[in-house]
Amino acid sequence: MSQLLTRKNILHAIGLLLFVLVPTIADATSEPYIVNMITRLVIYAIAAVSLDLVLGYGALVSFGHSAFFGLGGYVIGIIGFHIANDGGLFGWEGSNAALVLWPIAMLACALLGLIIGFLSLRTSGVQFIFITLAFSQMLYFVLVGLMIYGGDDGMMIDQRNTFPGLDLTRDSTYYYFCLAVLVIWVYLCRRIVNSRFGLALRGLKQNQRRSVALGFGPMGYRLTAFVISAAGTGLAGVLWANYALFVSPDMASWGKSGELMAMVILGGLGTIFGPVVGASVFLGLEQVLTGLTEHWMLFLGPILVLVVLFGKRGLYGLLVGGKHHD
Amino acid sequence: MTDSIKLELRGLRKSFGAVHATRNVNLQVREGEIHALIGPNGAGKTTLLSQISGEITPDDGQILLDGRDITRVPAQRRAAAGLARSFQISQLYLDFTAEDNVAMAVQARSRGGFNLWHNAWRDQRLREPAYAELVRVGLGERANVRVSDLAHGEKRQLELAMALALRSPVLLLDEPMAGMGQEESRRMTQLLTKLKGQYAILLVEHDMDAVFALADRITVLVYGETIFTGTPGEVRQNAEVRAAYLGDEI
Repeated sequence: MSQLLTRKNILHAIGLLLFVLVPTIADATSEPYIVNMITRLVIYAIAAVSLDLVLGYGALVSFGHSAFFGLGGYVIGIIGFHIANDGGLFGWEGSNAALVLWPIAMLACALLGLIIGFLSLRTSGVQFIFITLAFSQMLYFVLVGLMIYGGDDGMMIDQRNTFPGLDLTRDSTYYYFCLAVLVIWVYLCRRIVNSRFGLALRGLKQNQRRSVALGFGPMGYRLTAFVISAAGTGLAGVLWANYALFVSPDMASWGKSGELMAMVILGGLGTIFGPVVGASVFLGLEQVLTGLTEHWMLFLGPILVLVVLFGKRGLYGLLVGGKHHD
Repeated sequence: MTDSIKLELRGLRKSFGAVHATRNVNLQVREGEIHALIGPNGAGKTTLLSQISGEITPDDGQILLDGRDITRVPAQRRAAAGLARSFQISQLYLDFTAEDNVAMAVQARSRGGFNLWHNAWRDQRLREPAYAELVRVGLGERANVRVSDLAHGEKRQLELAMALALRSPVLLLDEPMAGMGQEESRRMTQLLTKLKGQYAILLVEHDMDAVFALADRITVLVYGETIFTGTPGEVRQNAEVRAAYLGDEI
């Protein structure tokens, strides 16, 4: 029992309870926009958790994860566009079922991750940061150039994808659905980082020379992590497209990559749960501070610096205490 | 030939610009022997070990493991081919516990590196052999200590445990006594004595007491060239070796 009642587990339970209660609180306070706000948060958290797989556990500073977020969204947008306008694409009559479209979108992101990862992982350090940035900028400008899909302005999506047994058009249902995806994704990522694969990945981060001498080939492990991370970030993009019913090149902008990185660092690198905290605090600050000033980043900057300087494992590390970094 | 040769270097050469780090190295390590490689600082001992372990590719010459040419085999495949090394400057996973470190080596030699599901920290197939290896080098009580909190001598023992955990028939040990006090050196020598006969060991070491106590044969490396190979007795008597290196140490 004492094993279960650790500070960490209690905090996780409280966190989950708060998330579950969001629609109830929104109802009670008659502020329905809260549900939408927290839906956004949950979607960003999925992307940030995905980024933590490579950033926190692989020390691979990807500055190009917005590419996967954007691509995931655009796959949904583009298929929806062709079904609405041409009654299908490539001779396929199309589908609006989440269980058909979402795996396609995630597969596309995994494939893009495979290509970008395969080329970028030949470099390290600053080169890696810049080459991932360059790839995401390429995708960004391709999206801007696709005038048929709205170019710079992006495009609207007619309706949310359908899921058997659930009415995703209802905002609170969609919120719970996204929350469930987040919980499952966090669970899967925890399994991954604590598996033999995770052990090898973390080992490569700490001492590549030793790992190679033991027989761990860096490319295989890092590329696998990169692809999983890309697919997860793509899923967040899919959920975003369905939430906002709108996609634009902004989803793939470098600023989006920076926001995701800030969330991971704020919450705690290499913790999986941390990025959820990071996304909450980041978007919370944005919400509160934009009410006060347009230049809210002026406040975020110093906070980020303080967290990096004083919180070894970010805000999550501070919350659960020093020793519990796993 | 009565003794089978586990590791053989033939005419190995490596230059870095105008610096000839390895000029012409010929060396054989037989099954079950401890073969010491000695030489003055800058003789190219670590460069040579790095070529054997695959971190550096030689310009010319061959490296044979069990008679198989591994000169072009990438470093990460050499462990699986039967070659384990320890480092002069400890190369450890500082954020992991001692047992995690050895578990990495145990995992490296077993399958399932791409198992994404089962918890590796609770996997007895990793934990038990890792713990056993720590006990073997005398670190059993320190299994759950983070490596960054270990003393220098303990880190050296852990280096050895990780090399042993690979269960490779050939070990390359790069100055296992580096930076150790007398008492620690003595214990390490005892430890290595226990390994005698079980592995083919190429031992680079500056501690001459340890070298003469442990080695079956000694090769002397000077300016990237092997100038002499013989038993400890022969090395002691060889005038060229004394002039080049040993001086009045013996």
